[in-house]
Amino acid sequence: MDQVIDKIIDTLLAYIWSPLIALETMIADYLPGQDIAALIAYAVYVLIILAGGFLAIASRNLVRAMLGLVLTFLGVAGLYLLLACPFLAFMQILIYVGAVCVLIFFAIMLTRNTNEGEESKLPGIGSAIYGFFAFVLPLGILGPLIIINVPKLELKDYGQTDTKLLGEGLITNDVFSFELISIILLVAMAGAVFLAWRRRPTPDEAPK
Amino acid sequence: MELSLLSFVQIIIACLLIIGLMVGNAVIMVYIERKAAGFIQRRPGPYEVGPRGTIQAICDAMKLLGKQLFIPGNVDWALYFLAPVLAFLPVLVLFLPIPFGKYLTTLQVDDGILLILAFAGLGVISNILAGWASNNKYGLLGAARAVAQSVAYEIPMIMALLAVVFLTGSLNLTAIVERQGTWPWEWNIAYQPLACFIYFVSLVGETNRAPFDLPEAESELTAGFHTEYSGMGFALFFLSEYANMLLVSFVCATFFLGGYRGPILDGFWWTFIKAYAVMCVIVWLRWTFPRVRFDQLLNINWKWLLPLSILNLWVTAIIIKFID
Repeated sequence: MDQVIDKIIDTLLAYIWSPLIALETMIADYLPGQDIAALIAYAVYVLIILAGGFLAIASRNLVRAMLGLVLTFLGVAGLYLLLACPFLAFMQILIYVGAVCVLIFFAIMLTRNTNEGEESKLPGIGSAIYGFFAFVLPLGILGPLIIINVPKLELKDYGQTDTKLLGEGLITNDVFSFELISIILLVAMAGAVFLAWRRRPTPDEAPK
Repeated sequence: MELSLLSFVQIIIACLLIIGLMVGNAVIMVYIERKAAGFIQRRPGPYEVGPRGTIQAICDAMKLLGKQLFIPGNVDWALYFLAPVLAFLPVLVLFLPIPFGKYLTTLQVDDGILLILAFAGLGVISNILAGWASNNKYGLLGAARAVAQSVAYEIPMIMALLAVVFLTGSLNLTAIVERQGTWPWEWNIAYQPLACFIYFVSLVGETNRAPFDLPEAESELTAGFHTEYSGMGFALFFLSEYANMLLVSFVCATFFLGGYRGPILDGFWWTFIKAYAVMCVIVWLRWTFPRVRFDQLLNINWKWLLPLSILNLWVTAIIIKFID
């Protein structure tokens, strides 16, 4: 009986794996010495990031553009996972998707949304040329460098994330940058409150 | 975490079970909620369909399934259809790190609570997209309220959970349960009563339940962000609301009520009993308290919950430092 079950499981596994193995050998011919699963995961995340970026610049509507930004942030979080830092990946989603994007949406709603802003028109020739250079220059400089040294990709079992180590690092070695960032955020917050502050008129000087 | 076929199959099976749990939970909770509402408001509640109205929820589900999908004019159709799907998708991920029993966890994640908090943020995005895409003033107002409310209530919620993480020294949910004892006075609610209270209040705020259901306040905004949704679109929002309620109850049971540990016979039944007790309190709260005004809602959060949670965190840190 056990043998029969084993045989069934083996057949099922072979059925699931065989297309994957075929794909694996195909890719292995082109890129020797790489972990295929890691490559596929990397490709998926990069595609998500690029699709998000494209959506963000190509939409004629600010809310759709914001959705592109959300997609990009999710892809970057995936890359953090691939780098075996789940803590950073979750923080990326928690802060950027859960807070920053939601606040951006709030800002969009506070402004007049008549679909007549800059984003609703096609860009002019000048900005198209600038955009082209902004795309080609980093590609031309960084692209060959990346192609020359393709890093070895692998899926790691990340085991324990040492949150304690991270916290200790923040208050010992990197305490200066940590405090600097805190001060910048505090100044930004105080500045926002100062700009938005309007003294409430007392009853006798209230506008008639 | 092992990257093997076995763990993959395990996750698939767990996800199917979780979907079953979510659907079953919605059906049961709708019945409990309507009966409780009837009892509190001195009326019978559902009683026509089936013995004591037990099949009413299933009939409602059938009605929603059969309803025509109505698309109002001038909506942003891509976002209009994306929003309910986006409300439901992250819920599956949210249940991954919940320890139902000692070994009954879908995926042991070391930063489990961070995973839950991170993906819970996607629910807000679906609410605001729904409100925005339906091209409706009520919807937009509901979305604006959802943003302000969820951003506000997320902060004391995280602070309250952080106090427990301070006690345990781990973000892993199983480790948090393991640190608590078997008897009620050994649970975290005995060590962190203030954090438990803050978490409970912000949980009601995060899940948009009355008395904090301002994003869908039906007396002012018709139905808020999901005004324009009918049929399955509405059903998905409804299902995800109940799933989120179930999730925060499980997190509450894990963090403050000792999870799967109980006076006798540790096991997953304790998690379920505790989580459903929390759910019943949420239902009870909904039908007892009147809806607060929006400025009151924000004042409760920024003037009371946030300072209290910071104070609680501070005192916890100092006490831990002195005891060590």
